[in-house]
Amino acid sequence: MEFDNIEISDEEEEITAQTVLKTLQNAWQNERLAPEILPHQNEMVECMLGQIQHMERNINKLPKTDLRASIHKMELNRIKFIICNYLKTRLDKIEKYCISILNDEKQRLESGTNYLTPSEYKYAQEYLINMESHLKEVALDHVPGNMQSFDLNKLVIYPYLQAHVFLKANETVTGIILEDLGGDQDEEIDLEENSQHILQYKPIADLLKSGKVQLM
Amino acid sequence: MDPYEIEFIGENRIVSIIPNFSHDKIFLICGEFGPFRAGLPMNVPLWLGVMLKQKQKCRIVAPDWMDIEVLENIKEEEKKSRFFTKMPNEHYMVEAKLILGTAAEDIPRASEIKTIIKDIWDIRMSKLRTSMDALMKTGGSYGRLDHLTMMEINSVKPLLPEAMNELHRIKMNARKTMPSSLNTTVSQPGSSQITPLDAPLDSALLDSARLNSGAPKNDISTARFAAVRQSCTNRYYIVIPVF
Repeated sequence: MEFDNIEISDEEEEITAQTVLKTLQNAWQNERLAPEILPHQNEMVECMLGQIQHMERNINKLPKTDLRASIHKMELNRIKFIICNYLKTRLDKIEKYCISILNDEKQRLESGTNYLTPSEYKYAQEYLINMESHLKEVALDHVPGNMQSFDLNKLVIYPYLQAHVFLKANETVTGIILEDLGGDQDEEIDLEENSQHILQYKPIADLLKSGKVQLM
Repeated sequence: MDPYEIEFIGENRIVSIIPNFSHDKIFLICGEFGPFRAGLPMNVPLWLGVMLKQKQKCRIVAPDWMDIEVLENIKEEEKKSRFFTKMPNEHYMVEAKLILGTAAEDIPRASEIKTIIKDIWDIRMSKLRTSMDALMKTGGSYGRLDHLTMMEINSVKPLLPEAMNELHRIKMNARKTMPSSLNTTVSQPGSSQITPLDAPLDSALLDSARLNSGAPKNDISTARFAAVRQSCTNRYYIVIPVF
């Protein structure tokens, strides 16, 4: 059974299943630890799901008692856990920051740098519509007419980008500016390769998205 | 993240096992392993090693660092150094817990090793608490944490980041109120979130933060960790994995 080489059709780029797994695991870890939603990794997820299906078909051909079957099953379960948890974490964020994510996403869609997959985007829109009609049905429809006005903008929850996060630098990055609120002197720091830090999320958000740092 | 998730990540580390059966190479998604030859050592991911051990199909070979002498040296180093020393393994605690938990009989002097690793963990955790306290007292919003392992970092979550967030909020509020307290003629219509009571409190806190910032910022191993911990005991706790 040889599954090492797989292809991603739309980019015509060959990567090993191992690399896909590593990328997914990093994406999962980052998504768990970042305060805001990160750009999606849909190609990787789809690619891995295809691989899992393929493997499962092969496992079913093996006799039940075969040691290989249980080892492969265990590995697949581990990968499924990562994917499920990754997607669930994203959905949690979408539900929590629904309105602000949708607002940002509309701008990002115009520039073609969308963070959500099409189905996540659809989910977010439907979630918002459902929430709105639920609030109307449960409360607003039962109050006097002059109090029924409803402003969605008052419900916006923003992710807390000033939150402090732990990170590890994948490569050396210089000149990150940390705002100093106490004094007036902003501080500039360098992240050496493999060094670990705790600092605010905001100044390193772009570095995270470009893969130069990894949250931990 | 939960400690079990850190364990999950740590389970991808490679360990050496001696299988008691023979089998061809297996091609997993995370790489190819084998061939398995009864009695010959080979490398597999930790999760696979533990699984085979539970099925009594292999013995786990103690990793190089899981040795009394090596660990004693690490412990002495750790005691002497003011900073965190580099651990032999990014997931030493996870590996120790899993290997000693499932395959204690394969490791020579397992119980002594367990004690030393626990000692090293304790020394490092107390160092970490001291550093955190110093960091908070200097009012820092940035810290460098080289050589700390994931499990150790995870054990101070959410306490440390939350405390730093809180400090950041206090500073933000202080900055908002400071100009208006200097210039008394300016009233603040509509700024309902800052009550007059808050202002002196915030600047007092800020002052105390400034007083303490006399110490250089990277000297993070002097003070004790009392204040932050007490004020937060009700909400946060430190998770320490138990053998």
